[in-house]
Amino acid sequence: MLVSAEPIACHDCGQLHRYSPLAPGKTANCTRCGAVLYRNRPDMLDSVLALTLAGLVLFVLTNVFPLLGLRAQGAEQELHLLGASLAFWDQGYPLLAGLIILNIIIFPLFELLTVLVVVLTIRYRWRSSTAIFLFRWMSEFKPWGMLEVFMLGVLVAVVKLGDLATLIVGTAFWSFAGLILTMAAATALLDPFSVWRALGKNNG
Amino acid sequence: MAEHDALLQCRVCGCLSHASTQLKRFEVMHCPRCGARVKLAQQSNSVEVTWALLIAAAILYIPANMLPIMSVYMLGAGQPDTIITGAYHLLEAGQWPLALIVFVASIVVPLLKLFTLSFLLISIQRRSRWRQHDRMRLYRITEYVGRWSMVDVFVIAILTGLVQFGNLARVDANLGSLSFAAVVVLTMFAARTLDEHLIWDITRQEESHT
Repeated sequence: MLVSAEPIACHDCGQLHRYSPLAPGKTANCTRCGAVLYRNRPDMLDSVLALTLAGLVLFVLTNVFPLLGLRAQGAEQELHLLGASLAFWDQGYPLLAGLIILNIIIFPLFELLTVLVVVLTIRYRWRSSTAIFLFRWMSEFKPWGMLEVFMLGVLVAVVKLGDLATLIVGTAFWSFAGLILTMAAATALLDPFSVWRALGKNNG
Repeated sequence: MAEHDALLQCRVCGCLSHASTQLKRFEVMHCPRCGARVKLAQQSNSVEVTWALLIAAAILYIPANMLPIMSVYMLGAGQPDTIITGAYHLLEAGQWPLALIVFVASIVVPLLKLFTLSFLLISIQRRSRWRQHDRMRLYRITEYVGRWSMVDVFVIAILTGLVQFGNLARVDANLGSLSFAAVVVLTMFAARTLDEHLIWDITRQEESHT
């Protein structure tokens, strides 16, 4: 065979490389297109675990407390994350309501729980079949989780409503902002190559 | 480089595997590590599927822009907004940064996405060798930016969920929002089904001949 023990292909352009261990903190790039092949982050698992646990707490807070409130001529209206997801349902668009529930509740929660299971599986060397299944589907669903896009939507709505009535920014608004930051940081730290490599090893 | 033909790369976990035996008709190969379906080159229908999704999105783009996406009622008087008038109202109110965000996310991005993906498909079908790195980058940007178009749908969800004060003030969702969300979802699927490795296919075949 021409290829050495562990050949790897660039995720972007398919160029073949040979895996060789990296010094801590270093990154390997594709020789053809420059995409990141893999990184060596010594504290990856612990940092991601901490961020994910924080993310789960923030996720609960975000869903329990109201996101925005509106006061107009004595009447008051509150909006929870679930209320925003279901708003289209009340308007007769169940498909849209379903899409938004998936985008801002189901997929983000699925991502948080998956990362938790994956990190614990690698850390404690559990059997990895469940983690492999979950991580695979998380990679496929990733673009459909849209928390940060929703946050931009909240900001646009806040400005639009500014001159209509008195706006109350709820507790969930801030936990939501924190949730986006923790999830972004966890995504940035988690190196898919290292995860797949570790999961593949546990299985065999 | 003979190994290009012998090895298959899983699109999900990146793991390489050999297409050990010739597959029978309708037989499917799964990635040995993550279990995702691995498509063989001769099974790839990526170009056709992407075209179908793109054309569907292009058709829906028309009602998405013509129909009102939401109506704002103040003291009983209603006013339906299309995507364009919604952005224009923000501009009128002096909120030009937000008007710009809405304009770019809801009008420029979906339109650019339709054109960019069509361009990439045509260049793949013509087996073009032109600026493969840049086309690759263009694909990555298109794939990443697409989801931000959902912002207007979220704004409608927030406004309709929050502003329900009977006759005083009310916001209702309209049919245009459904068409618009469909455009975003279809173009996201289109970007996903387009196999970007096809951009490199022509180079790969040449390499394997030398």
